[in-house]
Amino acid sequence: MAVAEASQSLTIDDRETEGKGINFAAERLAQEARQPLSFSGSRGTQDVTAEFAAAAKQLPPGQLVKDEYFTLFEAVGALEIMDPKMDSGYIPPGDSVEPGFDVCLGLPAEEVIWIMDELLRLTIVWHDGYPLSQTVYPSLHVDRLLSPDNKAPYTFSFGDSTDQYVETEERLVHVVLRAFCVALVKSCALVLHTIQSQGFYEEEDFVTHLFGRELLPGTGADEALRLVDEAVRFVEEESELDKDMRSALSERLQFVRLYVSLLMNDIDDWTDMTAMDEIADTHALARARPEAFSDKVQRQLATSTPPRPMVPITWEEAHQRWLQLSADITEAGDLTDYDVCQSPHGLQRAIWVFVYRNPTPNTFARAYLQNILFAGEQVTEGITFFDLMLTDMRDLVLAGHELADPQSFVVEMPADPRHKCSRIMEAFMDKAFDEYMNLYRMVCQNRCRIRRTFTQSVGILDNLERDAQRSDSELDGVIGGILLPTEDDSALIALNPLTSWTKYHKLLVMSWTIQLGFETDIYLPHETGMMYWYLMVFAQRRRKLLEHIDRFTSARVKNLASSGDVRPHADAVVSLDWLAVLRKEVDLIISLSSALWQLNTALAMTKVIEAPKRDYAQEQLLYDVRMKSYLGIAHDPVPSLDEYRDAEQSIRSTDEACVNVDSAVKDAKACLAELKKTTSKQGKYFGTENEWKREMKQLETTCVAVAVQTFQLRSTAYKHGQHSLKGIVEVRVPPPGSRYHDWWPVPQIKIKEKIAVV
Amino acid sequence: MSGNSKDAATNGPTDTAEATSKVTGEVSIRYVAYGSEKESPYLPAIRQLISKDLSEPYSIYVYRYFLYQWGDLCFMALDDDDNLLGVIVCKLEPHRGGPMRGYIAMLATDAEYRGRGIATKLVRLAVEKMIEKDADEIALETEVDNIPSLRIYENLGFLRTKRLHRYYLNGNTAYRLLLYLKPGIPYRPTFPPEYPGEAGTQGQRLMSEDLMQRQIARMQVEDVHNERRDVTGTSASVR
Repeated sequence: MAVAEASQSLTIDDRETEGKGINFAAERLAQEARQPLSFSGSRGTQDVTAEFAAAAKQLPPGQLVKDEYFTLFEAVGALEIMDPKMDSGYIPPGDSVEPGFDVCLGLPAEEVIWIMDELLRLTIVWHDGYPLSQTVYPSLHVDRLLSPDNKAPYTFSFGDSTDQYVETEERLVHVVLRAFCVALVKSCALVLHTIQSQGFYEEEDFVTHLFGRELLPGTGADEALRLVDEAVRFVEEESELDKDMRSALSERLQFVRLYVSLLMNDIDDWTDMTAMDEIADTHALARARPEAFSDKVQRQLATSTPPRPMVPITWEEAHQRWLQLSADITEAGDLTDYDVCQSPHGLQRAIWVFVYRNPTPNTFARAYLQNILFAGEQVTEGITFFDLMLTDMRDLVLAGHELADPQSFVVEMPADPRHKCSRIMEAFMDKAFDEYMNLYRMVCQNRCRIRRTFTQSVGILDNLERDAQRSDSELDGVIGGILLPTEDDSALIALNPLTSWTKYHKLLVMSWTIQLGFETDIYLPHETGMMYWYLMVFAQRRRKLLEHIDRFTSARVKNLASSGDVRPHADAVVSLDWLAVLRKEVDLIISLSSALWQLNTALAMTKVIEAPKRDYAQEQLLYDVRMKSYLGIAHDPVPSLDEYRDAEQSIRSTDEACVNVDSAVKDAKACLAELKKTTSKQGKYFGTENEWKREMKQLETTCVAVAVQTFQLRSTAYKHGQHSLKGIVEVRVPPPGSRYHDWWPVPQIKIKEKIAVV
Repeated sequence: MSGNSKDAATNGPTDTAEATSKVTGEVSIRYVAYGSEKESPYLPAIRQLISKDLSEPYSIYVYRYFLYQWGDLCFMALDDDDNLLGVIVCKLEPHRGGPMRGYIAMLATDAEYRGRGIATKLVRLAVEKMIEKDADEIALETEVDNIPSLRIYENLGFLRTKRLHRYYLNGNTAYRLLLYLKPGIPYRPTFPPEYPGEAGTQGQRLMSEDLMQRQIARMQVEDVHNERRDVTGTSASVR
């Protein structure tokens, strides 16, 4: 009523707008505020059909009345009421408004078991990214608990005590099923909390929408556990059910209790979730009661989107997914343990390994891993994000050097060069922080998003290189540059550690965008050759940079050996070993991408792979579309289309291409042989040894496949002696998922049967 | 988007689940632009043809949004009795304040008339018109396994620039396809998209898009981010 009084003093000046617009609205608001409001217990309805139709008649068809704020955003949000495709509140004629099932009725044990199993199945479907409105909410028992009219202690009878229910079947519902539902809902709240506190993409990965309901805010997870314990006690001691039924019910209660405890971090052994197997064993005891679930609950939910099509999964599939979730989370803990985190590179590898598990871990598991690393101030005991980044710089470019020594950062004397340099380092690391942390965080996202983010990172890292150059300059100003004479001793070159470090990551990310491009099937068959060429070029540049860094680390090792600084010397030696492994890895990429570039070129030369006619395309513009993310690079711009064409034309014949392929494959195999001899310490792949080995095998198989296909092509070309093998040879590129290694598509050649001439 | 439905354009045997018998023999087809008449008599037929193929429903406002502003970029395939056999719906406006971007929002062909190149013809008409209106580039999204659709566009010169995970309401993944019509586009400045790098801040959700925004994304309006900012005030794009 204070509003009504205050509104009396509103002045309305409608001289300028003739009573329309904002002043009219203000007057109307004031009028409405003055009217007494009527409450009649529940929200009443008023039929405005006549008024609405009359108002609508005043607009002729085709007249559009909108202000500038009505955008496509608003248009898309519009729902046509009574259109069943859009209006989830629509009730088809003859259908009842509400489902007829009475959730307060007692149920036999078999049916309670079925309802619990169904809820477990639907919960794991929710984990896969389907909304609550179509998974857990359609349970009428859950729906009753979540009803806006319900309150703590959330019973099926709207907060009334459950003491009135004395029959076994009644208590199976009001004590046992209720406890199960409460605990399950609390588990959803805990899962949601973890997911929402970390990185994910709404709707792509997961749907967090609660549809206007809350997940039992008046009851804590502890209370849920207490209810479950009570329910177990009832089942075991009072229910007088036969042994199998008691077992089955207890197992389910204990499972959900375990799940909630794990989510609360009260306990942390997720392998115990294999208790799901026992539940599966007793699933046969369940007897269906489908009326306990109904889509009609969606009519009461706050939603602006229609229900989405869902692919149903069987109970057995759900069982497997629960086991998979448990295995994934256990693995997440192992892959991020203290020892793995000691090496930033090792940790990065571990995250890649985690998300490349097959099947891909679901959104919650990936959020769980991110939570371990990023929820607090440290990725693991004693290692902050700053430590991680400094270690990364030290391992790659500054091993054994004072600049990256953590001790330098705690020197307090302002005049001390270590103090000055540390501040310069910190200022740069601040700028680089977000993009650096993306190297860990973004890998936890879906594959498409990983690539999309890294294509944007390329430009950002290139800009960062400029900042790095400035910082390196400032460091030079304090301690002089880190210098070495050139090979011919004519000049001095500088390490420029920060620039080198930034450039290295830029080149690494550039390679990833191409390889992820192969994995997400972005490139058409006729583009593949060119992309392999660019992959080779990016790898060659990374190679040169590693050589550059290596010169300085080698020199430092020598100096430290004679200086007697044991610790820095040891660090530098370890770094040198690792740089050697990195060079081998990059040599492998150079050789293999060279081979595949030239194989694809040979296929193009023999017209087995051809670009389609493309009336609206021009070569340079196709190049622009394809290479867009790399074109803005200011530091070492990428080769132009002409430069690529020159490289292509340097291959003079199909035969020459095939010979080159064989040679490159040989080089690649030699690299693999060397790499297989490295230890996890040298290669910094501690914690992911099995995946390392497996990847080596996949790459070996890829090498063999390339050689085999090339041989086939070469001998066919020789036999036919023609320039064009079109119609004689067909090529097929296996889609991602059916390649030896998803980052290395190898064209499969098929020689068509010669048609007999009659 | 569902707009380019799986079987909207098939230049060969369809692999559609529905066993629709196709109309055989010669059919006289003419191609007509929707034009500037806002509530053209064809609007209901367009709605019906498009919504038949799609799992995602659109309100009348979505159709009006495109057809009121870009009626000349909508082309229809009609038979002698003025039955609608196919339709394409597009728009053309600056993309994030930079290049003029044409966008193909919906494409549908009557199931009984597939395999006649109607969809290809409609796309060509739209592309030609956009070129005539000085478009710098043309974009669209289509499902990753909509082979007929991909074939049409890729044979005209479109390339895949991104894969969009679970883009559609039914969980299907999409490709973004792009065709540049003029040189120098990568070097032209645009407003940045809502950058997912905000993930750098601890405990923040990446790109917290609410349901409405996802709905727009499903509608394949690629510059939705720009529009969402514009709700609070300024937009050159919606006029």
